[in-house]
Amino acid sequence: MNRRDFHRLGTWALGGLVKLAVAVPAVAFLLNPLRKKDGTPAAEAFEALVPLSELKVGEPRSFGIVRDQVDAWVKYPREPVGSVWLIRQPEGVEPRVVALNAECPHLGCAVGRSADGEGFYCPCHSSAFDAEGKPMNRIPPRPMDALEVELSQDADPIVSVKFERFRPLATEKIPLA
Amino acid sequence: MRKLIADWFEDRAGLGSRLRSMREEHLPAGPRWGYVCGSALLAVLLVQAFTGLMMMTAYSPGTPTAWGSVFFIEKQMWMGWLVRGLHHFGAQTVMVLAAVHLLQVLFAGAYRAPRELNWWLGLVLLGLLVGFGHTGYQLPWDQKGFWATKVSTNIAGGAPVLGPYVKTVVVGGVDYGNQTLTRFYGMHVGILPVLLTITLAAHLALRYRHGLKPPEGAPTEPPPGGWTATYFPDQTFRNSLVVVAIVGLLFGLVFWHGGAPLDAPADPSSPDYPARPEWYFRFLYQMLKYFPGHLEWVGSIVVPGALMTTLALLPLLDKVIPSRALHFLACAGAFAVVGGATFLTIQSFVEDARSESFQAARKKADAENARALFLASHPDFGVPPEGSNYLFRHDPLTRGAALMEKKCLSCHVMGGKGPEGDENAQAGSDLKGFGSLAWIRGLLENPGSDAYFGTSPENDGMVEWKKTTKLTAEQLDQVAEFVAGFAAIGEDQTVDDWLNTEGVADHPGYDPFVKDCGKCHYVGGAASEITEGGDRDAPDLFAWGSPRWFRRMVRQPSHDSLYGFLEADQRMPASPPDEMSDHDVSMIYRYLRGDYLK
Repeated sequence: MNRRDFHRLGTWALGGLVKLAVAVPAVAFLLNPLRKKDGTPAAEAFEALVPLSELKVGEPRSFGIVRDQVDAWVKYPREPVGSVWLIRQPEGVEPRVVALNAECPHLGCAVGRSADGEGFYCPCHSSAFDAEGKPMNRIPPRPMDALEVELSQDADPIVSVKFERFRPLATEKIPLA
Repeated sequence: MRKLIADWFEDRAGLGSRLRSMREEHLPAGPRWGYVCGSALLAVLLVQAFTGLMMMTAYSPGTPTAWGSVFFIEKQMWMGWLVRGLHHFGAQTVMVLAAVHLLQVLFAGAYRAPRELNWWLGLVLLGLLVGFGHTGYQLPWDQKGFWATKVSTNIAGGAPVLGPYVKTVVVGGVDYGNQTLTRFYGMHVGILPVLLTITLAAHLALRYRHGLKPPEGAPTEPPPGGWTATYFPDQTFRNSLVVVAIVGLLFGLVFWHGGAPLDAPADPSSPDYPARPEWYFRFLYQMLKYFPGHLEWVGSIVVPGALMTTLALLPLLDKVIPSRALHFLACAGAFAVVGGATFLTIQSFVEDARSESFQAARKKADAENARALFLASHPDFGVPPEGSNYLFRHDPLTRGAALMEKKCLSCHVMGGKGPEGDENAQAGSDLKGFGSLAWIRGLLENPGSDAYFGTSPENDGMVEWKKTTKLTAEQLDQVAEFVAGFAAIGEDQTVDDWLNTEGVADHPGYDPFVKDCGKCHYVGGAASEITEGGDRDAPDLFAWGSPRWFRRMVRQPSHDSLYGFLEADQRMPASPPDEMSDHDVSMIYRYLRGDYLK
């Protein structure tokens, strides 16, 4: 290797080193949202919504989920994060209340009740579901997302829901981290 | 195939041949270390542009959001501290390299024909770089940037005739706020980069037109066999070595410092923030001390302006003054300026190091800085939705202490101390540990001490009681413990609710309290008939030391159930809600009770 070859190699290598040194942190910086957040206790908590007696059997009612929310650097107390449909089941059926996330498993629009009142319907791309959240056409990739429900020990139990969100378009329920 | 594509591009764009001619530029005197400065400056500028673009994806200009987003970059984002650290220390490196580049060109006499235009473009670039530093410094909206910017824009505002208008336009109004941030941000990431790109392109184009200035005595004709050294790879190798060294130094600084500094959020109401400019402006800052206030603009605008004008005139003066003499004068002048600036910079730092008041103010600011970062990163606190300026308003430790100092410590003391350790004409109790078991027990032991009623002799009920009481030390312990429990009485609790709570009527302190303290004090008014009361005027003790009692004590200290029995001029002054909000009252209360994040 002569002097000029050494210079040539050195220019490439040193130049590459500098570019790499700056590019690596930059890529990490941009990929920051992919990092797993360490334990968000709010996501584990059940939200108390309504006493059981206020729900009518077979008639879905929608409830907003309001919870403390961390949005990047801001901590919002009591911020709306989504909504759920609660459907009280007939006596003797377990579970006594079914909770469905109102977020459409297709592309995330808000699912409302269908015009005939029998089931659910998403106004964005016509996803239709029956009263239990099962798909009625081929648009949604999976049923509406059922959420865990807890009833308190009171005489008139309080219905609580563990609010979770799942990846749209997937055929399985994959929790959003 | 590769050749085919290369040829296609060459035919249409001519890019390859142009690049080749740049790479194959001949170096008559061989590669030189003296040629690396401009390239190094360019490399660091590229690092600045790149890290700056990265941060644009995370930064949010606006007074409620700026500090929080920078905090997020610095403390939460993946390698955010590294990206921001590189940008922070890179900015200082740019300033140093720009100064070195300028001096080098000056010493080489490269301002002379035919390079006059490029000399002027270089001076314009220097001005733009100063603009970058100035606008970027305040984007985090922290104390440091806020006060430094306030000072520097006020200096500009002090210039004759146009000054105030220029300042108002730059700041975006009379006050510093959202418009200041959006304007500085727009300048920093939009206007200045465009101007810099254009000017820099012209600067580089002219550099290629005239070539690098060879040292004197370099051959002008190629030796037999042609030139041996070309820009690539001989000069680029040296450039790369220097750039690696500089970038390595940058990384070293960032790692050593653990990122870039972020001060507490900007607070226009802080009384004693010790504002200082970034170190490369320190000489200007120090020089201003030699000018009287109304001539500030002479020091800050006329002197630097005259300096820049002289530099700009050099190529023209070169035509009228003998070239060598002018060069000698210019270099001597440059040495004088650099020497003077170095002296002023050192003097400024030495003065600060020796100034006790500066050190005290800096220490306080550092403590606030640490507290702000602690609160913002605490999972139970975080940056509030109202914005970073409200961070401290929800913190009893800072807000409560500040309010105490302003509102209470003109009479009361904390641990025997008035505001910042000053002596005050104490006319109230010592509030350190107010309402705690120890505080109450101390009161029952020695009510006449300065910590309790010693400095308000007109309020002598407890002192008189102490002379006659027959309670034993053990009973006093029990009474103190019983009374300390009053603070837990809730906002809506009635006297009956409270009496029926477990551990109240059957508390060992209950009986001695009712029999002894109850001679004067009522609990829940005379109607509750818990105590007989009435021997002497005394405040009602129901819920004493609780938030509700405290709030009433602040709002209506002269209420009949409190200290209404004192003469008007002996009572504590009331603080109505428009003077102190309920939120602020609770901040003081929680501060006194030690109820804050530690």
